[in-house]
Amino acid sequence: MNRNTPAEVRRANGRAMALVLVAAVLAVALMCLPLYRFSAAVFTKKSGNTFVGDEKYQQVRAEVEAMAQEHAQRTGGAPQIVENVTERTNSKGEKTSMVAFEVRQVMSRTGWDFMFSGLPCGTFLMALVLCLAAAVGLMLCGLWKAVDVDWPELNPGKSVPRRLGAALGLIALLLVPAFMMSCNLCFTRQIKLATDGFPKPGLDGLLRVLDRFLYGGTAGEETLSLMTGVTYQPDWALYGLMAALAAFTLGGVLVAHGHPAATLQKGLLYGFVICLCLVILYPYYVMLITGFRSNAETTDMYFQHMLPTRWVWSNLSDIIGRGVPRYLLNSLLLSAGATAIALLCGIPAAYAMARMNFPGKKAFLGFVIMSQMFSPVVLLVGISRLMNALHLNDTVTGLMFINAAFNQAFAIWLLRGTFVSISSEMEQAACIDGCSTVSAMLRVLLPMAAPGIVTTLIFVFINAWNEYTISTVLISTNANKPITVGITQFSSFNMIEWQYLFAAALVATIPVVILFMLIEKHLAAGLTAGGVKG
Amino acid sequence: MNTIPIRHKWEPYLWLLPSLVLMCVFVVFPIGIVFKLSVSEISKSGVVKGLVGLDNFRAAFRDPAFGTVMLNTAIWVVSVVGLSTLLGFITAMALNAEFFGRKVARSIVVFPWATSLVIQASVWNYIIKGEYGNLNNVLLNLGILKNAVNWRASYQIEFAWECGVGIFVTIPFVAFTVLAGLQSIDDAYYEAATVDGAGFWRKLWNVTIPLVKPSLTVCTVLNIIYVFNSFPIIYTITKGAPANKTDTMVTLLYMRAFYDNQKGPATAMSVIGFAILCVCAGAYMMVTMRKEDAR
Repeated sequence: MNRNTPAEVRRANGRAMALVLVAAVLAVALMCLPLYRFSAAVFTKKSGNTFVGDEKYQQVRAEVEAMAQEHAQRTGGAPQIVENVTERTNSKGEKTSMVAFEVRQVMSRTGWDFMFSGLPCGTFLMALVLCLAAAVGLMLCGLWKAVDVDWPELNPGKSVPRRLGAALGLIALLLVPAFMMSCNLCFTRQIKLATDGFPKPGLDGLLRVLDRFLYGGTAGEETLSLMTGVTYQPDWALYGLMAALAAFTLGGVLVAHGHPAATLQKGLLYGFVICLCLVILYPYYVMLITGFRSNAETTDMYFQHMLPTRWVWSNLSDIIGRGVPRYLLNSLLLSAGATAIALLCGIPAAYAMARMNFPGKKAFLGFVIMSQMFSPVVLLVGISRLMNALHLNDTVTGLMFINAAFNQAFAIWLLRGTFVSISSEMEQAACIDGCSTVSAMLRVLLPMAAPGIVTTLIFVFINAWNEYTISTVLISTNANKPITVGITQFSSFNMIEWQYLFAAALVATIPVVILFMLIEKHLAAGLTAGGVKG
Repeated sequence: MNTIPIRHKWEPYLWLLPSLVLMCVFVVFPIGIVFKLSVSEISKSGVVKGLVGLDNFRAAFRDPAFGTVMLNTAIWVVSVVGLSTLLGFITAMALNAEFFGRKVARSIVVFPWATSLVIQASVWNYIIKGEYGNLNNVLLNLGILKNAVNWRASYQIEFAWECGVGIFVTIPFVAFTVLAGLQSIDDAYYEAATVDGAGFWRKLWNVTIPLVKPSLTVCTVLNIIYVFNSFPIIYTITKGAPANKTDTMVTLLYMRAFYDNQKGPATAMSVIGFAILCVCAGAYMMVTMRKEDAR
């Protein structure tokens, strides 16, 4: 690493701090510009039954125009009049129309308007300003009397405030999308819920604040109905604010340790991993909350909570009454049997493949690989006929053999990889001592290969546990169904009981996921070891 | 050599016997049945009546849904295998880097692999349900959306969702096979590349990709087979509706065989499926092996 001279460090810090201060000033300035542009109805008036253009219509229209004029003089805006015409036929068969006049006005609101409005979204902007101020303060503290100290030589008292400052910059940047989300909640979601008849507690307070914010307190009782037609768009200043905060964060990183590229790389890495984990966990979250909701809540399109309002534990006892324990038992039997058969057949084969040279070895390996090509789904017709012939149709035993057979390839693959990676010296010694090949394998190799065997065992078990397609074709008796087929009864065409479906799915999933996490480390290594060396 | 002496000429075959018997009875035999049925006439009650040559194949090709379904299958396999390989590779790179919480992240990434496809598909089916689906619920409650979105407005969009779920459940498999390949790369290669002044992209292109290629090849071939044969996702989310527009070959043949009672054409489709798979997997293996040799 090249050392930086104090002069260089001072110059770099100066530039970075200048960037920070300019960006901060810019951000504050942008907050004074309109962040959102609203197009809102200021008042509405209905005309009653009229014809467009007739006397009554003209009269109301004139009234509305006068009111709009008066409003324009008061607020200095340029309102526009919108007519919503509803045609209807009266009892005499004449067509009349109902004209609803709406006086709309485009209004802009600056960041400071939001902040002092008392709206929930304003708090985000307030937090943003506080973050900015604190970040600038911390960075100045970190630079104080240390402007020309090279970054690696900074003591914690100086480097920690700088890093904190940069982190606060990032938080401020993230507060902008949070602010936008909060705006959607205030201006659309809550209003929609209220007009559709699902008021949230505290709605009156929110409406009062909205009235003050958009209408200067003149709308009163009418706020809710006026708010329903409000549209709004972020103005360029909001995007400018984001850009300024990004520049601020960049400056903060430069002050903190002078390597923005490395930080960006790390940030992208964390961002990617966090997003990935959130997406992966999302279906499990859905399973969890839906499995413990009441039936009404699972199909409620206005449901306002991210968690069940009441954890319905009785879903679990309900599914016990619907045959789930029986399905679980079947799945357990089926998977255990399939695993036992697959290993009993697979271990000798893998042993021969790993330790012996014989004509036809390549052919057998090719056969094993080819057998993966034929998934049970494509063979369903053949399998169901074979099972009929063997009188194994509709039995758990039949499923055991099928699952064992279709997992042979992977079992041999994984086991062979494990065996090949273990030296055969000990077995050779055992053979020379007069041990038979079988006991050499059982006593010498298998104990050493235990991790690989456990991995294979769990892998086959999970595959059999999760299998769905063959079971759904072969099994028709309810008492013989494995869990994967059993849970589909909760999503039949005429009656979908999501809460039972997901409660059962949770019970079926959790043990398997835990098992899989245990072998996660060995699994991938085994897969490629078997494959690549083949 | 890592081998042990063989006492009798036939000893290895005895070791292979149980496995061979198991696979012959439950894999090879059904294959034979399928091939035989594909050239036989089958009555509605399921009785085989005798050979009819290629009639079943003709019937399969004449199936009104055949064209759409072949196109769907192609889209399904190419998009799911392609994108899951790309995303899985990126995931593996990320999980191979040093960062805080790496162990937890690896455990989480393995989740979809450990969950039954039918359960995954059911959850996603609920998530994108039109009126009350959880995706709308969450996005509205967080304020990310202003208004509810109809996530399954057309069958094309539904099919895209199915491809998405397919990608989602395939990523862990790719990620972990590639990760195993990445972990086996000696750091010395990267150090040498760094000394030579190679940047991130040059290292990726000249060191990482050639060295993980064997793992990538294996996992792509397996993936093509798995994805082609994948059944529960489409069967759970749309059941091929409307009018087989979202079916792939596998779901169509299931429907024809067990719902519409057309076992003959269904077995013919199975045989066509085999042929396609053999060609794809074989071609891919040959191309990659030839490239290896040329290196």
